[in-house]
Amino acid sequence: MAQAQISMYLPPNINPTKAAIAYGCRALPKLNEELQSEDVTTRQKALMALCDLMHDPEYVYQAIDIGCVESLKALLKDINDLVRIKATEVLHIMATHNVGRDSFLEHGIIPALSFLLNDANPICRENLHKTYKHLAQLPAGAQGIVNSGLIPSLVWNLQKEQMAVQELILDTLASCLQEDATEALGSRLVPFLKQQLLSGNDSIRAKAACTLMAISIPLQGKNQVWQYDVIPLLVHLLKDDVDEVQANAAGALMYATVTTEGKYAALEAEAIHPLLGLLRSPLNKARLNATKALTMLAEAPEGRKALQSHVHNFRALQGEAIEASTRRAAEIAIKVIEWKP
Amino acid sequence: MASVLTDRTSRAVNTYTYTSRPRALPCQRRRYRDNFLQEEEPMRYGNIMYDRRVIRGNTYALQTGQLPGQPDPLELQRQQQAKRRALARKRAQEQLRPRTPEPLEGRKHVDVQTELYLEEIADRMVEVDVECQTDAFLDRPSTPLFIPAKTGKDVDTEILEGELFDFDLEVKPMLEVLVGKTIEQSLLEVMEEEELANLQAMQYAYEEIRNIELAEVQRLEEQERRHREEKERRKQQQWEMVNKHKETSQKIAARVFAQRYLADLLPSVFSSLRDSGYFYDPIERDIEMGFLPWLMDEVEKTMEYSMVGRTVLDMLIREVVEKRLSMYENKENKHQSLRPKDEHGGPGAMRDPPVGYGFQKQSLSHTQKPLLDRDDQRMSYDGGPSQERKYMEEGELLGQSEETAIRKSLGKEEL
Repeated sequence: MAQAQISMYLPPNINPTKAAIAYGCRALPKLNEELQSEDVTTRQKALMALCDLMHDPEYVYQAIDIGCVESLKALLKDINDLVRIKATEVLHIMATHNVGRDSFLEHGIIPALSFLLNDANPICRENLHKTYKHLAQLPAGAQGIVNSGLIPSLVWNLQKEQMAVQELILDTLASCLQEDATEALGSRLVPFLKQQLLSGNDSIRAKAACTLMAISIPLQGKNQVWQYDVIPLLVHLLKDDVDEVQANAAGALMYATVTTEGKYAALEAEAIHPLLGLLRSPLNKARLNATKALTMLAEAPEGRKALQSHVHNFRALQGEAIEASTRRAAEIAIKVIEWKP
Repeated sequence: MASVLTDRTSRAVNTYTYTSRPRALPCQRRRYRDNFLQEEEPMRYGNIMYDRRVIRGNTYALQTGQLPGQPDPLELQRQQQAKRRALARKRAQEQLRPRTPEPLEGRKHVDVQTELYLEEIADRMVEVDVECQTDAFLDRPSTPLFIPAKTGKDVDTEILEGELFDFDLEVKPMLEVLVGKTIEQSLLEVMEEEELANLQAMQYAYEEIRNIELAEVQRLEEQERRHREEKERRKQQQWEMVNKHKETSQKIAARVFAQRYLADLLPSVFSSLRDSGYFYDPIERDIEMGFLPWLMDEVEKTMEYSMVGRTVLDMLIREVVEKRLSMYENKENKHQSLRPKDEHGGPGAMRDPPVGYGFQKQSLSHTQKPLLDRDDQRMSYDGGPSQERKYMEEGELLGQSEETAIRKSLGKEEL
């Protein structure tokens, strides 16, 4: 009978899909070399291992130090789908760290990634948009995206993509537009967003409203919003079921009613009543935005007259609000309503 | 290792392969009597792990299980005892048997053939018949076990050293590694996600406040702009109003002034018109326009006639005088040295009165001119006839002055 013996050696390939990670500080340099190898399988395995390692910030820093970003940039143009998918995934994980974002700006990853905007593989595009979303949350990153003239192509892609990716692109656009909205205003974004406001998906509506909020910060945006009759739609959305959608719609209204035309359009669309309802919303953002929007409307004489009977709401809000910003906003609202020329 | 390599395509967990798999032999006939447990034998071939024939667990404390259908241990023990007794008896009997005495020292017993003809003792066994009789009073021993002859095929499986292993033990380190790595990775990812979520929440809060502040700034800007525009407009309005006010007052003042100024415009116009003779009596005008010029022309003609007459007369006189003068001069030239002064005095004396006349006439003509001017301005009806007379007088004087002027010029020409 054979002997039952425990072998001391682990089997050689526990996970054949990942490259073996060398010990200690040799891990990343070796992976970097493997990334540049000729064999597709080696590259794929190295990419999978890199994906896992990049979750650790120290490894990210080391990787950037030894120049992994350059090799990744070269891999973005690879023919093999899996290599591109994994490369974009690694870049996405790196973009969630601040060092990663900075290195992207230094190495010019944004233009390299922009070639993949029309890639055939949907997962690749999804990772790409996730990377852009994280990059756009940094102000310098958003500026970089705007400077490379990517906004028109992003708007164009927004109209073509699926819902999940659309959400990502909307997030990216919202952050970028807060930096500089001039290019977007020229690419007919407002009518498209108006359509999105009617979509069935909750998060799409919320994000579209958020992007509208960002786009109506500059004066031209406000004019466009009024021109395309988005304001009645926004007022309608104030009665939506989802809190987030209500809050964002109130925010967009807040910006759009700064101009006189916007104010009168909102007053015509009977915005005061739903906004008053929002003052008691559970979401703080909704309360803040609604207060501000009502303040804007109170600047107009008709609005002031209508709101004078509701001043007690604002006093209540001022009294019981936890955040200082809400209290201040309520104070300002009361001051504006009770102003006499 | 070859088996491992060829196993790549087999199921994932199996790192072991066979060239011939072990299987239970299919056998239809019953091998053992009283075999109630035959149905337990699984007919499938398969996992060696679940094979009862394979020893599992400790191999140094084996339990020798009974073959099914065997007699119980009590009987077995009795059997063993009987066997031992038989053996003991056999040994005792052997000791009683006569034996060849032991050899002496230095000698050895050897079997030797003592026959005449030596026989080769090859494989011819020494046969000895021995009879034995059992004890009369012994119990009949039980029948020995019936072990049937082995039939059928034998199949082996070769198990090399180290191939049989205990799965639980072997898998533990691998599992540790796998699970450990997975947990490590997932911990890392979860921490990262938590961090991201925290950052996101902070950013969210910041965004809220930022939006609010921005909206506030814009509102204030807008308010400022509106107020400023309103102020500008009001100022503009006010300025315009003041302007208009000023203009209106100016207009009123101008109007009043103009009215006053023009109040006596009408009478003055009328008076000046009347003065200039625009309101005329047609008969008077007719007389003035028609009759008087004709009259004047006639007067002029008459005067011209008289003047012409006088001129002719003057010319006659002149010729005569000239002739006499020339005659006289001719005479004088002869006596030129005698009387130079008288000549100078003569023409000079002649000249003076006309010169004096000329001055007079000139002064008269000077006085005539303003008279004429005034008359041009104010042609009054009353002064008309008197002026006619004056004209006639002056015409006479004029004729006279003309006469003397002609004379003067003649005199000059002479000299």
